[in-house]
Amino acid sequence: MRRLLAALALLLCVAPASAQPSAEIGNDLPAAVAEEQITVSSDYRGSYVTVFGVNPDRRGRGDIVVVVRGPNEGASVMRKRQVFGLWVNGEAVRFSEAPSFFAVLSNRPLRQIASAESIWRYQLDPAASAQLSSAVPEGGDPSAYRAALVRLRREQGLYQEYSGRALADQRGGLTMYQGGLFRAVVRLPANAPIAQYHADTYLFRDGRLISSQRVPISIARVGFERRIHDLATNWSLLYGVLTVLLALAAGWVAANLFRRS
Amino acid sequence: MIYLPIAEMPVNVLLVLLVSGAVGFVSGLVGVGGGFIMTPALMFLGVPAPVAVATGASQIAATSFSGVLSQTRRKAVDWRMGMLLSMGGIVGSASGVWLFERLLRLGQLDLIISILYLVLLAAVGWLMLNEGLSVMRGRPTRGVSILRRPARTIAHTLPFRMRFPRSGLYISIIPPLALGYAIGALAAIMGIGGGFILIPAMIYLLRMPTNVVIGTSLFQVLIVASLIVIMQAQATQTVDLVLAALLMLGGVIGAQLGVRLGAGLKSEHLRALLGALLLAASVKFLLDIVIQPPEPYVLGGWL
Repeated sequence: MRRLLAALALLLCVAPASAQPSAEIGNDLPAAVAEEQITVSSDYRGSYVTVFGVNPDRRGRGDIVVVVRGPNEGASVMRKRQVFGLWVNGEAVRFSEAPSFFAVLSNRPLRQIASAESIWRYQLDPAASAQLSSAVPEGGDPSAYRAALVRLRREQGLYQEYSGRALADQRGGLTMYQGGLFRAVVRLPANAPIAQYHADTYLFRDGRLISSQRVPISIARVGFERRIHDLATNWSLLYGVLTVLLALAAGWVAANLFRRS
Repeated sequence: MIYLPIAEMPVNVLLVLLVSGAVGFVSGLVGVGGGFIMTPALMFLGVPAPVAVATGASQIAATSFSGVLSQTRRKAVDWRMGMLLSMGGIVGSASGVWLFERLLRLGQLDLIISILYLVLLAAVGWLMLNEGLSVMRGRPTRGVSILRRPARTIAHTLPFRMRFPRSGLYISIIPPLALGYAIGALAAIMGIGGGFILIPAMIYLLRMPTNVVIGTSLFQVLIVASLIVIMQAQATQTVDLVLAALLMLGGVIGAQLGVRLGAGLKSEHLRALLGALLLAASVKFLLDIVIQPPEPYVLGGWL
C-alpha cells in the first residue's frame, strides 16, 4: 500500500514534467503498444513490450526516440571502502527519484538526435531522470555515483539503451519501415518491478522536439501470484501464520513417514 | 521455472528442489539442522539475502517440528527448560528482526551476514573436520562426553534457581534465558536454527543430560523459527510462500533419504567431508570481503 501511494505521488509529480504541455510540441504522433496489459503468473519469465507508431511527416523527416519507463522510486548507491582490511559499504548516497526501469531506443545515436539540454529536459537517459537527494561523502564525486547507479542497473537489465535497428544478438531495438512506420521492441526482464509503465514516443527534427505521445502499459499479477502477494502485503500476520501452519503440516507428515520406516 | 511472488524472480523448480533436497540429505546423514547450509545456498542461487533468511526460517520450523514430534514420543523433551529457552529466544528473535531491518536500511546487512557466516562456517567446519579425522585415526572423540562435563558451572551459582525434574537439575534461570536470547537473535539475522550452538552450550554450560538435549533444543528452535517467520512476514515482508513450500518438499524428501542411507554408513568420513566443505565455503566468504572488489559501487538496500 505504501509503495502504491508513493508510486501515485511520483506519477503526479512526474506527469506534467514529461508531458510538457508547451505550445510548440504537438501530440499528433500516432503510437500504440501491442501489450497494454502484461500479466504476471507463476510462469512469468519477463516479457516484451512492442511500441508501434507512425512518423506524421510524409517525407519521413525527423528522428524517433522511444522511451519505456517504469515508475520512479527512491534508490541509493554506496561506494565500498576498506576498513581494517575488510571492504565495507560506505555511506549511502540517496536518490529521491530514479526510474525503476528505463529503456531508450532511437533510430540513430541519441546524442546526434537531441542536444544535451533536450536530453536532460525530456529525461531521455536514465542519468537525467535520477534526482540526487543527499550529500556525497567527502572526496566523492556526485556524477560518479550517478554513473554507478546507471551502470549497475544496466547490468541488471533494468536500464537499456539501443540505437538503430534490432540486431540479431540484441533483444530489443527500433526498426523503421516504409511510410514512416516504426516498431520498438524492449525486453522487460523478470526482475523489472511490477507496476504501471509508460511508453513515450518523441519525434525530433533538427535537434528540436516536434511531437510526443504517451501510452500506458500496465504490468499486474494475476491469479495465484496476485492472491499470494495481496495476502503478504495486506494481511501479513495471517500470511505469516499460514506459512508456519504449512511448515507444521510438512513437519507432521515427515515425522509420520519417519515413524513408519 | 516458477515465478516467486515475493522474491519477484523466476527460479528453476528442479534446481531449488535439488538444492533443498541435498541440504536435507546432508542434514539427515550427518545429523545437523541444515539452516546454516540452506541460507547461503539460496543466496548463491540469486535469492536476495533478506528473502533467503526469512524464508529459510519456515523450512527450519518444518524440520524442527518433525524432530520435536519424534522426540516427544521418546519423552526426550524437557518442557520446562524448553519454555525458558524459548522465552529468551522470543525476545532474542524480536531484537534480531529489529536489527535485521536496521542493518537492511543502513545497507550493512550483507556485510554482517558475511562476517557471521565466515566465523560460523569456519568454526563448525573446523570442529567437524577435526572430529571426523580423529575418529578415523582411531583416537577417542573429544566430542560429547559425560565424563568431561564440569561438575558445577556458573549456572549453578547464579541466583533465581529453579528445579528442572526432567533434566535432574537445580540451576539459575539466567543462563537458559541468556542462551535462548543469543540463539534467537542469531537465528533471526542469519536464517539458522542454531541447534549446533545450542546443543553444546546446553551440555557444557547448563549440564543437561544428553538424552534430553536434542529434543529440548529442537523445541526452542521450533518456537523461535515459527515466530521469526511471522515477524519477518510483518516487518520486512520477505517470506516467500512458494519458495518455502519448495524448500520444505525438497528438505523433507532429502532428509528421509539421508537418514535411511546414513544408518548404514560411517558418519566420521561424512563429517570430515562436510567439515572440509564448510571450511571451503568460509574461505569464499572471507575472500569476498578481503579482496578488492572489481566494482567499487553497490546498489542500496531493498527497502
